[in-house]
Amino acid sequence: MLSIGFPAILASSVHDIKNSLTALRALLSQLENVYQDPKPTEFRQLEFETNRMNNCLMQLLTLYKIESSQFCLSIDEQSAADILEDVVAQQSTLLSLSNVQLLTECHDDLFCYCDGTLISNALCTLVNNAQRYCRSKILLSVAPEDDYIVFCIEDDGNGYPENLISSDHKQLPQIDLANGNTGLGLFFTETIAQLHVKGDKRGFIVTDNNSQFGGARFKLYLP
Amino acid sequence: MTIKLASKKILVVEDQPIMRETLKHILGSFGARFIVEAESGINAITAMRIDRFDIVLCDYNLLRGKNGQQVLEEARHLKLLPVKAIFIMVTCEQSQEMVLSAIDNKPDDYLIKPFNQQQLLNRIERCHARKTYLASIENEIDKGNLYQAIHNCEQLLQQDDKKMRMQLLKLHAELAIKVGDLKTAEAIYQNILAERELPWARLGLGIVAFFLGYHDQAIKTFQELIEQYPVMLEAYDWLVKAYESAGHDEHAVTSLNSAVTLSPLSILRQKKLAVLADKAQNLVVAKKAYAAAIKLGKNSIHGSSADYSGLANVHLKNNAANEALKILYELNQQSQNDPEAKLRAALLENEIHQTKGSKALTQQAYEKIFKLNEQFNKHASKELRLEVARVFYLNGNGEICDEILNDLIKTNIDDKPFIKDIVTMCNTVIGENHAETLIQRIKKELVDINNKGVSLFQEGNIKGALAVFEKAIAKMPDNQTIILNMIKIIIHDIKTSKSGPDKIMSAQSYINKAIQIGIPHHQIGSLQAELDAIQCQDNQ
Repeated sequence: MLSIGFPAILASSVHDIKNSLTALRALLSQLENVYQDPKPTEFRQLEFETNRMNNCLMQLLTLYKIESSQFCLSIDEQSAADILEDVVAQQSTLLSLSNVQLLTECHDDLFCYCDGTLISNALCTLVNNAQRYCRSKILLSVAPEDDYIVFCIEDDGNGYPENLISSDHKQLPQIDLANGNTGLGLFFTETIAQLHVKGDKRGFIVTDNNSQFGGARFKLYLP
Repeated sequence: MTIKLASKKILVVEDQPIMRETLKHILGSFGARFIVEAESGINAITAMRIDRFDIVLCDYNLLRGKNGQQVLEEARHLKLLPVKAIFIMVTCEQSQEMVLSAIDNKPDDYLIKPFNQQQLLNRIERCHARKTYLASIENEIDKGNLYQAIHNCEQLLQQDDKKMRMQLLKLHAELAIKVGDLKTAEAIYQNILAERELPWARLGLGIVAFFLGYHDQAIKTFQELIEQYPVMLEAYDWLVKAYESAGHDEHAVTSLNSAVTLSPLSILRQKKLAVLADKAQNLVVAKKAYAAAIKLGKNSIHGSSADYSGLANVHLKNNAANEALKILYELNQQSQNDPEAKLRAALLENEIHQTKGSKALTQQAYEKIFKLNEQFNKHASKELRLEVARVFYLNGNGEICDEILNDLIKTNIDDKPFIKDIVTMCNTVIGENHAETLIQRIKKELVDINNKGVSLFQEGNIKGALAVFEKAIAKMPDNQTIILNMIKIIIHDIKTSKSGPDKIMSAQSYINKAIQIGIPHHQIGSLQAELDAIQCQDNQ
């Protein structure tokens, strides 16, 4: 095993699982077409779980690469509206199966300097989670704030549990197996936010329960 | 949705039947009617030979044969993809994009698995919108009218579409570099960097420094970029070029070796590494890279007999004649319909038997070379022809050797690195001054032709002057001085006698040719401006 090396084993496992996931989702959508509306609620659960598996894999691989210094951001000017559009598209299947409303707010001429794919992946993970914990509504918005561009996710659920509220996610939050939420998504987003640098400013995240709908609020600041 | 899929020809390249089925279903549900499936790279190429596709969705990890990148390279090389076609590469993870990035063949976009129908459509839509927006530029680039492309780019920039601004600026700077207008490119990159540190703009500044001949500065820029972005392959490629130009061959090999470690599947990098390492006498690296190039070449349009003879020659240098013979055997099996491969095989055979000391077999191989040279010499690549010349000399036929050398010098007189190769070969094999004498004689010949043309022109005999230069271009198609004078005379002719679309077209095609062979902006830019002014007047 050592002659192949762990990175190669990890990469090749991730590829295999991704291919399986892709096939799994293709099969699911074929199966789904067999049913009339309203479709069994299990499909919603299945979609959520496959999203989550995919997000986990992406996080695993990215964090591993950062850890072993093989990672490299691909920074360019990105349209904030395009990033939101990507997130909504990624979540569209799940949305079509649930009663959750995903609203977006963004100015068309708003741009940010970031790794677009990575940021939209991170937001997808968080929105996917919000879909599970909200009652009926999620708002995804972007706006400039001081010298930062801020992505904000707000929902109308019960809010973050105590242990996930903080402005410091550099430490892995306490693992909360009872709720099935390990906070890895937040840790991941904080990690990649930190990689975005302009002068002496770095990206960061803030979590609180000050959503305008009364639930959890997540904010990603990019310089 | 702004793109109408119903009228589009779509090719889906994917080895998994379930995925092909799903993609077809998704595309069909959005109105697509013309969908062709291919489960392998070879079938994809065949499909593209039959139909001109508007959209190609291609999985990178194809189970057998060519991978997605090799499909793209071959399609572009064989011009099977129309300029407006959208090629989307489907990959497994984000970082693959960079590692995949070949030296110049990039897909229009990437799509990461797994994706749903909305993600797929968004991607196609965005590509379509971008390609439609940039069509006026891309079409001119495709035709070689770089100045017109720059003009169209500047016009689009004036519309001040914020979403497209960066892309246009990037394209504008790249085009400026292509025509040798380094000042403009530098200004664009500086302006962007004043706003924000963007890796591609920093890379651009390094490239400008490289073309200005500031090799140390270029090297420093590329090194710093690599330190910050350790998988930015373009920075490695340029660092290698800068090291080469500055004469640091050892460093060039080391840097290229790092790039190859990151992207072992890029055949063009493997080939370049093999040749560079071979030149720098680093036989260990050369051997490995030639072997990799041969393996990758089996599925690639860039596979070539040169990789085989390169590897065999390394074996010979390592005193492993029997290993070289094995490679020769493999090459012979591959070379059935390829005259260049046959010629290489014969050269190799000659070399191997000479090393092994078998006179009869050496002579037999030499006779093969003689025959093949008569048939195909002019069609072979310049490097191979130089090798043929060398072998003729070594086998006692200096006359044919000089004949080939004269022709090579004549057609490549402005290609400084290659002329240097010729001089090096002559110095080591034939003797000092041999190449110099030939080069001086040809330079004199050139001056004579040029003077004759120019004096006819000054006498007012435009037709005569044009005839002299036309004849010279037929003989020496890549000669800078002759092409420049040709353009000047045609433009003068248009100005003084009657203008016409034929003359303008001919001037434009020589200008495009001039850019292609590397005549810099400060020499060609004013001629293009004159031609544009004439066209403006004609249109009024």
